Amino acid sequence: MADICYEDETSACESRPLWSSRKWRIGVQRFRMSPSEMNPTASTTEEEDKSEGIYNKRNKQEEYDFMNCASSSPSQSSPEEESVSLEDSDVSISDGNSSVNDVAVIPSKKTVKETDLRPRYGVASVCGRRRDMEDAVALHPSFVRKQTEFSRTRWHYFGVYDGHGCSHVAARCKERLHELVQEEALSDKKEEWKKMMERSFTRMDKEVVRWGETVMSANCRCELQTPDCDAVGSTAVVSVITPEKIIVANCGDSRAVLCRNGKAVPLSTDHKPDRPDELDRIQEAGGRVIYWDGARVLGVLAMSRAIGDNYLKPYVTSEPEVTVTDRTEEDEFLILATDGLWDVVTNEAACTMVRMCLNRKSGRGRRRGETQTPGRRSEEEGKEEEEKVVGSRKNGKRGEITDKACTEASVLLTKLALAKHSSDNVSVVVIDLRRRRKRHVA
Amino acid sequence: MKTSQEQHVCGSTVVQTINAPLPLVWSILRRFDNPKTFKHFVKTCKLRSGDGGEGSVREVTVVSDLPASFSLERLDELDDESHVMVISIIGGDHRLVNYQSKTTVFVAAEEEKTVVVESYVVDVPEGNTEEETTLFADTIVGCNLRSLAKLSEKMMELT
Repeated sequence: MADICYEDETSACESRPLWSSRKWRIGVQRFRMSPSEMNPTASTTEEEDKSEGIYNKRNKQEEYDFMNCASSSPSQSSPEEESVSLEDSDVSISDGNSSVNDVAVIPSKKTVKETDLRPRYGVASVCGRRRDMEDAVALHPSFVRKQTEFSRTRWHYFGVYDGHGCSHVAARCKERLHELVQEEALSDKKEEWKKMMERSFTRMDKEVVRWGETVMSANCRCELQTPDCDAVGSTAVVSVITPEKIIVANCGDSRAVLCRNGKAVPLSTDHKPDRPDELDRIQEAGGRVIYWDGARVLGVLAMSRAIGDNYLKPYVTSEPEVTVTDRTEEDEFLILATDGLWDVVTNEAACTMVRMCLNRKSGRGRRRGETQTPGRRSEEEGKEEEEKVVGSRKNGKRGEITDKACTEASVLLTKLALAKHSSDNVSVVVIDLRRRRKRHVA
Repeated sequence: MKTSQEQHVCGSTVVQTINAPLPLVWSILRRFDNPKTFKHFVKTCKLRSGDGGEGSVREVTVVSDLPASFSLERLDELDDESHVMVISIIGGDHRLVNYQSKTTVFVAAEEEKTVVVESYVVDVPEGNTEEETTLFADTIVGCNLRSLAKLSEKMMELT
């Protein structure tokens, strides 16, 4: 199938030189782009400026973390100083690789326990039989860092956006939605996830309209003469993963599915126009659902919620449905994917396939195309001895393999979708949720 | 079409007022070979025959996730004096059979404003009602005319 083009590890590798040059220019030493991050965007001046802002923010955050640790040192007694020393050691480890250790200090027991290592994840996107790629994927581990007197926690963001009509709304969601969620998360003290996500999606929807009125991306097919683009939109299925919870916000017909103890648990429900409650909402708003090659709002759009699509407002709303799920030891992984996958693969089949990949007894697996520095290798080997994988003894013990396994699982799902004659773009993110623990006794 | 019974036909009219002078609006609207400038749902357009004048046939590809992917359309009439344009859809993978639209452009009662009137007739597809068919077509035509209005007004700001 000549039209099929995969974008997975290859393009991720290709994106590294660009990132390296950026790193040098802005002087950030610690931040490293994840090798599995997808769809690198060509830099524009505007984007570079924005990127610098983002990285500077993270840099300050890291400085803040470090200062907080340092400032607590003088007040500690002798035994606890050793504990602080261990924390410093952890911090230095995290500088060298993308697995970040977080430490919860329990003074009475003098035990340090990590609970929210950066999860392993992989992504694959394929154009498929359609000529244009209109999907986008956003991967932002540690996009929110929360600090209290007793703990530091990091939250991780994953988003999948399936554009229609053109690609620029999905591309815009990829660039901005996680920033809006971050702003809402940092300003919200009560962690009211439903409201935070609803505000983020509403702001994203308005930005898409406003943005269309002023700027047009050079890499989408719309011409400068038609800046309003009312008829372009995107789905958005977003997951924020914290140490305690999995939050999913969904708008449209992409989907999030959790695999828990071998069973598929949907964390989102597709917004199809003939879903009874959606049908009621549309009709009460004065709209109609017409069966025109399937159920469509006004006979035109085959989903009932989307970011953008201004010409179909208020019938097609951008309000997300939000689920908040407590994490358990039985959680294995989370799949976020577009309907290019879910239209032809059941939740159960997808979970079974991913499970096979993640539980494969492949040990070291292949390292084709990977480059490693000696220092990095020794760090990983050291870390490996300290890790214990909870939930599956069959899993490869190296963290790196798990990342690779997640990517392989994503690729396998896209291939399965194409084999089942999906006629759409397919984008898949697989996130390994099994906890890894590390204990120190001071 | 079955000769033994008449096909059920329906039609509708969509009106759009534009804050821009008629010559500007007409110059955009009349480009049979380049509908993409204001029709959101058009991805590409190429002439199958003719030079853009009467009798020309264009093949339009449609943007993603709509209930169609291409449409064959013929320019039946283009009158630069009375500002009338008649287009028939003669093929494609959509359900708008025997669709013909007539678009007429007037100067509004208020000077410097233009009124665009698009009237169409089309067969009612099997399985749908007349109301559903006109609602679908009105949505597409309405979106196109609103886009034409925004583009014309924007171009006028630039002059």
